[in-house]
Amino acid sequence: MELEEAKEKIVEVLTKKAKTKSKFYFNDLSKILDLKPREAKKLVTKLIETEVLEYWSSGSTTMYGLKGMGKQASAEHED
Amino acid sequence: MAFISSGYNPDKPMENRITDIGPQHFEQFYPEVIKKNKGKWLYHEILKPGVLVHVAESGDEVYTVRVGGARFMSVTLIREICEIADKHCDGHLRFTTRNNIEFMVDSKDKLDPLVKDLESRKFDGGSFKFPVGGTGAGITNIIHTQGWIHCHTPATDASGTVKATLDEVFSDFQDMRMPAHLRISMACCLNMCGAVHCSDIAILGYHRKPPIVDHAYLDKMCEVPLAIAACPTAALKPSKVELEDGKTVNSIAIKRERCMFCGNCYTMCPSLPLADKEGDGIVLMVGGKVSNRISAPKFSKVVVAFIPNEMPRWPTMTKKIQDIIEAYAADARKYERLGEWAERIGWERFFDKCGLEFTHHLIDDFRDPAYYTWRQTSNFKF
Amino acid sequence: MAKHETPLLDQLESGPWPSFVSDMKQEAAARAKNEKNVEYQIPQDVVEDLLGVLELSYADGTTHWKHGGIVGVFGYGGGVIGRYCDQPETFPGVAHFHTMRVAQPAGKFYKTDYLKKLCDLWGFRGSGLTNMHGSTGDIILLGTTTPQLEEIFYELTHNFNQDLGGSGSNLRTPADCIGQARCEYACYDTQDLCHTLTEEYQDELHRPAFPYKFKFKFDGCPNCCVASIARSDMSFIGTWKDDIRIDQDAVKGYVNGDFPPNAGAHAGRDWGPFDIQKEVIDLCPTECMRYEDGKLEINNKECTRCMHCINVMPRALRPGKETGCSILVGAKAPILDGAQMGSLLVPFVEVNKEDGYAAIKEVIEAIWDWWMEEGKNRERLGELMKRQGFQRLLEVTGIKPVAQHVQEPRTNPYIFWKEDEVEGGWDRDINEFRKTHLR
Repeated sequence: MELEEAKEKIVEVLTKKAKTKSKFYFNDLSKILDLKPREAKKLVTKLIETEVLEYWSSGSTTMYGLKGMGKQASAEHED
Repeated sequence: MAFISSGYNPDKPMENRITDIGPQHFEQFYPEVIKKNKGKWLYHEILKPGVLVHVAESGDEVYTVRVGGARFMSVTLIREICEIADKHCDGHLRFTTRNNIEFMVDSKDKLDPLVKDLESRKFDGGSFKFPVGGTGAGITNIIHTQGWIHCHTPATDASGTVKATLDEVFSDFQDMRMPAHLRISMACCLNMCGAVHCSDIAILGYHRKPPIVDHAYLDKMCEVPLAIAACPTAALKPSKVELEDGKTVNSIAIKRERCMFCGNCYTMCPSLPLADKEGDGIVLMVGGKVSNRISAPKFSKVVVAFIPNEMPRWPTMTKKIQDIIEAYAADARKYERLGEWAERIGWERFFDKCGLEFTHHLIDDFRDPAYYTWRQTSNFKF
Repeated sequence: MAKHETPLLDQLESGPWPSFVSDMKQEAAARAKNEKNVEYQIPQDVVEDLLGVLELSYADGTTHWKHGGIVGVFGYGGGVIGRYCDQPETFPGVAHFHTMRVAQPAGKFYKTDYLKKLCDLWGFRGSGLTNMHGSTGDIILLGTTTPQLEEIFYELTHNFNQDLGGSGSNLRTPADCIGQARCEYACYDTQDLCHTLTEEYQDELHRPAFPYKFKFKFDGCPNCCVASIARSDMSFIGTWKDDIRIDQDAVKGYVNGDFPPNAGAHAGRDWGPFDIQKEVIDLCPTECMRYEDGKLEINNKECTRCMHCINVMPRALRPGKETGCSILVGAKAPILDGAQMGSLLVPFVEVNKEDGYAAIKEVIEAIWDWWMEEGKNRERLGELMKRQGFQRLLEVTGIKPVAQHVQEPRTNPYIFWKEDEVEGGWDRDINEFRKTHLR
């Protein structure tokens, strides 16, 4: 899968769900891409590097979201 | 204070970026005598509490002085540690898994000046900076977590409970009168970012009240589905709540009897705080071990369900810990770990000997494994 | 004059054990004095405000920190833990107080030039407060502001040749015991294996794509000083296959009282003269030893390598020469379904530096492939093993089942036979059956 296609798919699904939640597990992303985890990871890493996605970490668990989306930014005084 | 750039360009984060280089290579940090004799050590001996000698096939010896320390330490203290290592150890030192510091020298004549130097250094408040000890059948440093210094879900302080306990058992840090090693560990909530579940004695912070729900702000601060998904016991569900001003807001309802007080929802959602002065306190667990020596590794068992937080020195907690230690020291056989002793005499006898009360809280009722902890034989002691 | 009164914390300055309060106060004073004219990049009174907020916790019995999940360094999903104070107006110096995890060198040996340089960086761009070390093993730098995170990372990577450690759903910074560097028991080079795998799996360490955290720990022998068996998803425990090496003269030395038993570990009490029968032979869990006519005999075939006899007589007994490691998997702390000890998966594997530990990597990667595909969100490896079964673990790793894998065989006969295991398969002809069994 090309990066552009991956970006389109992920942005579409995450935007659609943005009203209820903004953070997703890695597994959710590989399901959206319909790829094995290792293949999905390569694309997700690129999306992080191109600032489409950003990480959110609970310390023990990591989640992914569209950059700047969601309520965390203001709750954490990082907006 | 003017901002001084390291060279990093925030507009182009990937420019000249170096990543994935990992830690420093360990070999560059080895003292000469270690580098030369690695993999060729013959035997070791504890010369006195805190002082070890290791002898190599080559005949070389390395003398190690182990000192305790708070794992929470300032750069000023680390610089002093470096000054000592520069003076005595050619600039080498190491830290142990249990947060002790080890200074190594390659001959016996360098030992006494090093020990004297370490023992002479005290903080202004009067405590030792570098107490020598923590070896053999004694009580070594207590590994611990962050507590109130830096964590968002602790039920107690870590550094304070550890300092209070180690002050009380300090003579055993510098002695080796125990039947075997006695390892105390501290974690400030049940998530146990310091894994204390296999310690001879574990000090564990525990909350007893479910989170408060800050209904008026929750929907502004948090994403309800994420907070709900964070709960390991499925105690949370979405709800609509009418505020005092008549406005209806999205919020969360807690099935309180399902809450295990882990704080995972608070991590996701700052509108669900759970810390509470009366609710929070200490659980004591005992009898765990990680070594495979004689018997298999064991989990620690809960023997005191709750002790209130008594700042700044937790006297009830330290008294109970001392009672357990003294009962063990008096009664266990040589080489017997605390858990092995408790199993040999029987847990019913353990409670007698330690003067601890047995309450219903100590009977396991959490999921399947609980069944296997009930007495399933007619053999027991009166 | 201290910025905040700390009457409760002051009571933790007395007593013999090193006082973290005294240490904080000396750091606060050093920053206030600033002898080297450091241009502090975060508030100069950060430590005083930390003392203040800690005193508040001691008074009201609750924490004053909030978690933050967004902050980090660009492109990494771990290594930084965000913290904010919930009393920022009273304690502005610690309003933002993020932690950075710095990957520690294997074995935790240091040279002072490195540590001093690190102290300079952390005093300049952070609070000057650390943990040496965190529970997982990292060097923990406690307390800095958001804008400093990238600056510190840039300096660490460019000037220290030093990377961050792990946090979140990734490989956590692996940790090891002192191993062969200074321990005669170590059956393999824990430092080299730890370092090599840490370098090999940097991507897994920094870019989280696992269901949850994953830990490697390396113990050189079954004494398990780094507690790998209790707290790591994959635990590598040194062991040996051949005979315990015996020096009979040294055994006599122990019997005659020339050497202190257990390397002097029991010297604090008079336990009476050393009794080899009582203290070694009778305590051997497999009863595979005897001492007769001044000679120690070990039936090595029956030995389970518990280390007791070697620990008691280190001058006389040594592990064998055919060494390697056992791999145990699935250990974790109690959250959520209860604590799990590591379960033996690979009874013995050579720890082969020459081929880059190929056999070990093969096991690791097979497990990751399985867990990444099948693991639920926030499910540790041990929990997946519980859910899908040990047999499944053997299937995915291609490891042959052996009796060593179990404590005891199953007590229920409910074997889920697979069709291809049963002669003739499962499809049967009802008409054939009816020829001999009427309706």
